[in-house]
Parts: sequence; structure tokens; C-alpha cells
Amino acid sequence: MNGALVRILDGNTFVVSDSRGDIEASLTDPTGLFSFDTRFLSTWILTVDGERLNPLSVDDLNYFESRFFLVPGTGTVYVDSKLSVIRRRAVGDGFHEELTILNHDEEPVELTVRIDAACDFADLFEVKDALQKKGSYSTRVSGRKLLLGYERESYVRQTVISASARAKVDEHGLTFAVSIAPQGSWTTDLDVVTAAGAGGAYSRPKYQRGERRAQPNMERSLERWIADAPRLETESDSLRATYHRSLVDLAALRFSPPVVGGGKSLPAAGLPWFMTMFGRDSIFTSLQALPFTPELAATTLRALGDWQGTRSDDFRDEDPGRILHEMRYGELSAFEERPHSPYYGCADATMLYLVLLDEYDRWTGDRRLVRELRNEARAAVRWIDEYADLMGNGYVSYRRRNEETGLENQCWKDSWDSISYRDGRLPGFPRATCELQGYAYDAKVRAARLAREVWGDPEWADELERQAADLKRRFNRDFWVEDGGYFALALDEEGKQVDSLTSNNGHLLWSGIVAKSKAKSVVRNLMGPRLFSGWGIRTLAEGEGRYNPIGYHVGTVWPFDSSFIAWGLRRYGFKEEAALVAGGILDAAQFFDGRLPEAFGGYERGVTKYPVQYPTACSPQAWSTGAPLLLLRTMLGLEPVDDRLLVDPMLPDNIGLVALLDIPGRWGRTDAFARGRGELLPRRGRALSPARS
Amino acid sequence: MRDATTEFFAGLEERGHEPLLEKATGSLRFDLIDNGRRARWLVEIDHGDLTVSHRNAKADCVVRAEQALFDRIAAGEENAVAAVLRGAMGIEGNRQLLVLFQRLFPAPKSP
Repeated sequence: MNGALVRILDGNTFVVSDSRGDIEASLTDPTGLFSFDTRFLSTWILTVDGERLNPLSVDDLNYFESRFFLVPGTGTVYVDSKLSVIRRRAVGDGFHEELTILNHDEEPVELTVRIDAACDFADLFEVKDALQKKGSYSTRVSGRKLLLGYERESYVRQTVISASARAKVDEHGLTFAVSIAPQGSWTTDLDVVTAAGAGGAYSRPKYQRGERRAQPNMERSLERWIADAPRLETESDSLRATYHRSLVDLAALRFSPPVVGGGKSLPAAGLPWFMTMFGRDSIFTSLQALPFTPELAATTLRALGDWQGTRSDDFRDEDPGRILHEMRYGELSAFEERPHSPYYGCADATMLYLVLLDEYDRWTGDRRLVRELRNEARAAVRWIDEYADLMGNGYVSYRRRNEETGLENQCWKDSWDSISYRDGRLPGFPRATCELQGYAYDAKVRAARLAREVWGDPEWADELERQAADLKRRFNRDFWVEDGGYFALALDEEGKQVDSLTSNNGHLLWSGIVAKSKAKSVVRNLMGPRLFSGWGIRTLAEGEGRYNPIGYHVGTVWPFDSSFIAWGLRRYGFKEEAALVAGGILDAAQFFDGRLPEAFGGYERGVTKYPVQYPTACSPQAWSTGAPLLLLRTMLGLEPVDDRLLVDPMLPDNIGLVALLDIPGRWGRTDAFARGRGELLPRRGRALSPARS
Repeated sequence: MRDATTEFFAGLEERGHEPLLEKATGSLRFDLIDNGRRARWLVEIDHGDLTVSHRNAKADCVVRAEQALFDRIAAGEENAVAAVLRGAMGIEGNRQLLVLFQRLFPAPKSP
């Protein structure tokens, strides 16, 4: 490996290479050209006269294209080359590479330029888990094309490589005999095209040979995407940069599932391993982005509705009405060695689907879609009542039925040790985590509103509201940890409290399930030194048995988590606390050039002075990208009420002036303005009092 | 005794309406190959109302598979989406129609 990895992508096709532009993958090495969860190129090495090249610089021109400047030489001595090599690569279904060699000498040169190519056709899961292949490979030269193939029964994948310049093609690559005049140049276009299925349709690279522009024009589509979003004006350079970064990354994360069509896209979960449809991630990100790019929510609702479960299928953990967890297109899903066709093992997405449907209506007033999805909404509610209550105690809980390849923890904190008692013990299954009850409550309250206002079913609305009120009453009794003044993380398989203090309390505020009388105590815990690090809210409180400031779900701060907690604080009127959390996360974003990581260490802000990134392969990640957007919403106090947008701002202390212009919604377009208070907020120990609302 | 495919389509015809397809309007044709012979099933959907026939007509979505494979799908012994990913079942045209339609295939039988 030579230097940092360079990634470019379009939808779920992406290229990961080293800083020379070379790909030298092994089964466990994550470089290559990937499309639909399959690697279509695992070797792609450029040599000139048998020598590898050295990188001078890499330009990330756009999320879908990059340019590598290279020179010959060993790299260990000072390079004074008479040659420059430029590789300009753009992804789009396959990829297109424009290879240019410049001769700076006063003499002509004769060169042998060689591209070595090969492919292992690994499934993404194989790359992550290092599994062996079961099918057979083929390599064929056909005219001036190199065809790499993989076949297992009816499953066929192929990569076709060709060049515009004259090349000698053999089974391992392409060789060019090149003559370049003094001060002259030589160039060739290389096309790598992916194909699936027997005699299947080839994808057409969006960059065609010789064309400078993608088809459809990706650059212009990015410009339009940014122009369509509200405009942010602020004195804070860092906030402006973070906002722009979020919009660009969100554009990169747009993914058009093969079945939706029409160029409509929804947010995929993250790069590079999660460029696919995820129930939870797509919904959370759509919620965060609603005031900015509401079309993401519309596509998410449609696509997840189309795939809503209808059967009881233990392998896929599918139930009627359940919203999917994850869809995958690779070989292991195709041969049912993994359950992702799609996999439904997720306890929250079905409820969050209803929450998004209502929030979408409140913002956009797109009644047509809400009417269209009435059956899906009914099926989702039925899932909560008939399939999600595994313990028969009136609470949503989870336990996988696919014991081999299904997910153990089906809530957002899905790592093995994320759900623990104070003393660090892990509970058995089923587990009824607290935020699931909050989501269930909110889902019913919101479905009731839609039943009354859109679906014309006031009786169902009454019934849903009764159920919600009952759930809230029971929840505030059964989950309340008396000696801590907060809600337990979960009820275990015996219905006993899993009593550790966690960030999940903030999601409960967001859902509105917290009794008013308990809110102040919950907020005191969230903003206290055990959970609030100064940057954001820790997933697990300091002092708990499994607390670890760099433990995935047991002490790190997740920007997405904190953004929903800020929304929850606003919901209960704690404006200053919400601003404090927003300020912390946005301050942290500065340290990552505006691109918030999935998670960072839970270290006390005053101790490290900067947020310590959690080592992860996934960046940008959709709901981290959405976090600054949701925080802007909470800082400005944006709330749609009928056909108006209410604005009730409270800015963090270091942000002076914010204007968000042309916010789309049922009001058409409108603006929101906020002025800072110019006063310093104490970081800790401030009296807690809900602001007037 | 009728095969699972015939049972499945006959069941659709009898129901005449399928709430899961209320969002859908369009036609699906299933071309099923059995030792070189081709059986054809045409399903026309109008907001959930279903008509099933053997008519030879253009369809918005054409699905091709071996009869034996489709029998197993219709009997709940095989998963349709995995079959598509595997290339064992081919689709042309409007894929979304098949996404909606595959929800009507029966649940897997418990072992």
C-alpha cells in the first residue's frame, strides 16, 4: 500500500485505490472497483518501462472523480523526471480513466506502458470476512478487449476492459508501445465496464470515451443539488464550511436503488461499505435533512414501503409489516449464505417509518404520498402490536430468529456489548430497549394525527391515542430508575431494568414519551458530567461498568445521536441545553474539516482539547453528515405549524448570526434569522429551567 | 393434482383483488420454460384488481425462469429476490412491479 486510500463513487459503484491510482487488492484488502456489493476489479497497476510510478499529488476534483499526478522513479531519491504521468479517473457504473504521459525532454522517447488487470469478484461480505469463492473464473481476449469473468451456476459477473489507443491485449492486461515527440504528449482513454447476469446488459459508464462530461452530467447535478438547498448566511466560517460539506457529502451518499427508478434517490448509510438501502439509516438521515432536501424522505418512504415485509421468514427475520434493515446485491445474498435479500432484523425502522411519514407531511404537505402509503402505515402499526411484543408485556423487544447470520442487537447500538447493566453484565434476550418504546409511542401519536387529518379515520385515531397514552403511563412507571432519576436502558428477558445511564434518554425526549414531571431530571443527567463530554452526549455514562471513552457504543460520542438529543431537548423547552449540544458538535466538526465522523472519543473536552476520532472505515457516514443539518434546525427552532414555519432561535455562544434562506416546505419558501446572544454560557452546573415556549 | 405454479396463479385469480398491490398498475408476464416448452402467465393489475390469463401480450415487466424453479417459489421453497440476484430468474422492464408482486409469494415452509 502506498499512502492514503483514494475513494471516488457514484451511487453504489465506487473505486478505492492507493495514491498512485493503483489497485492491488487481496481477498481481505479493501481496494478495488466495487458495484452492487461485488468487486469488479482487484488489480489495476500502471507501469512505465516496467517501473511503478510515484505519486506527486492527488486532486479530489469531486466525489466522483480524482486526478493523480505521477512520475517514474524509485521514490527514495530526488525525482528529476523528464516524464509526467496524469491519470484522471471518474466513476459512473464502471469507471473511465484518461491516461496522459508528457515528455518534458528535448529528445523523443519510446516507452512501454502497461496496465495489469485482474479480478477476484469478491462479495463485499467476503472482503470484510475473508471467505473463499465457490465459482469459477475466466479470462478472455476478444479483439481489443479484455474480458474478466466469474460464474457460479446462473450467477455471472463480468468486467470488460478496453482502450482507445492501440494496445496489445493479453490475459493479464494491456500493453502500449508509445512514442512521444520532444515536449509532446500521449494519451489514451481506458474504460472499465461492469456487467451482471448471463449475457447480461452491460452498464454504460457515465463517462463515455472522449467525453469530458459525465452522462448524465454529475457535476451539474451536484450544482443543482446545492442550489436547491436553502442558503446559509453566517459570520461563522466554520459553520458555513460544515454546512457546505454536509450538502456535498449528502449528494455523494445519494443512492438510487435499482427498483425505484426515475433517477430518484435516498440516502445510503455510509462509505464505502454501506452504499445500500438501510431502513434505520435512511430514515434517520431523511429526518435530519427534511428542512433542506425533502425529496430524500419521499424516496425513502416509497422504497422502504415497496419492500415492506409480508411474510414470516425466520432466515430474513421478516414479519408482515416490518420495514427492512439492509439490502445487499452480492453473491452471498444471491445464494442465501447471508440473509440480505433483504434482511429485516431491525426493531426500530418500522416505527421510525411512521415518524418520518408524519414529519414529512408536516413539512411538505405532500398529501398524495401520505394517502398512497396508508396501507403501509397500517401494516407498520399492526407490526408493532402483533409482532414486536415478544414478551407479551406491552413493550417492543427483539430477539433474532436467524441465529447464525442474523443480528443480535436490533437497535441502533448494534454492537455485541452495547446493552449492559450498571455492573457491566449483559442481559439475555429478548431485550426491550427504552428508545424503542419512545419510537413506538411517537409512531402511534403521529399515525393518529394522520388518521384523523389525512386518512379520514377518527376512530382509529382515537384508538391509537389511547394506546399511546397507556404506553406512556406504563413506560414512565416501569423504566424509571428511581435512584438515578433517569430511564433504564432496557427491560431484560424477565422484565427487570437494565439500569445503566445512557444517551438513549435523549431519544426519549425526542419521542415525547417522557412525563413532563420527569423531564428536568432526565436533562440534568444528560447535561451532567457523566454524559455530556463538552462536545456531545456520550453513548454510555462515565462510571458505568462497561464505560470506555473509545468503546463503539459504550462511551463514544455519536454526532447523529447528539443531534436527535438536541431535538429532544428543544421539544421539552430546554433551548439553552440544546444550543450547548449543538455548539459542541459543530465545534467538533471544525477539527474534521466539516465532515463529522461516525463517532469520536468520549474524552472530556477540557482534557483533550480536540475530539479524538474513533477509528472506522466508514466516512462520510450518512447520519453524521445529516447531524449539522438537524442541529441547524434545532438552533433556529424551526417547527412547521399548519402552513407556517415557526422560528424560535437559540444559538450557541460562539455563533453570532445565522440566516437560513429559502427553506422549502408547505409554505413555499421562507427564511429564518437568528442573532447570537453575545453572552457566555457556563459549561456546567447551570440551573436547569425550561425556557418559555 | 395441480402444480404449485398453477395453484398460485389460480389463487390470485380467485381473490381478484390484492391490497398489497393497490399502488400498482401494469402487467407482468411470466415466461416459464419446461424442457423447451413454454408456459405463459399474464397478470394484469389495476390498482390491486387482478386478472390472470395465458394471453400472449406485451407486458410492462417480463419475468423468465425455469418452470421447476418457479414451482418452488410458488410453493414457498425458494426466495424470489435471491433467485433474481442469482440470475436464475430474469427480469426485463419495470422492476418495481416485480418488487411489489413478489410480496405475494408464500412464506417459507417451516422445516
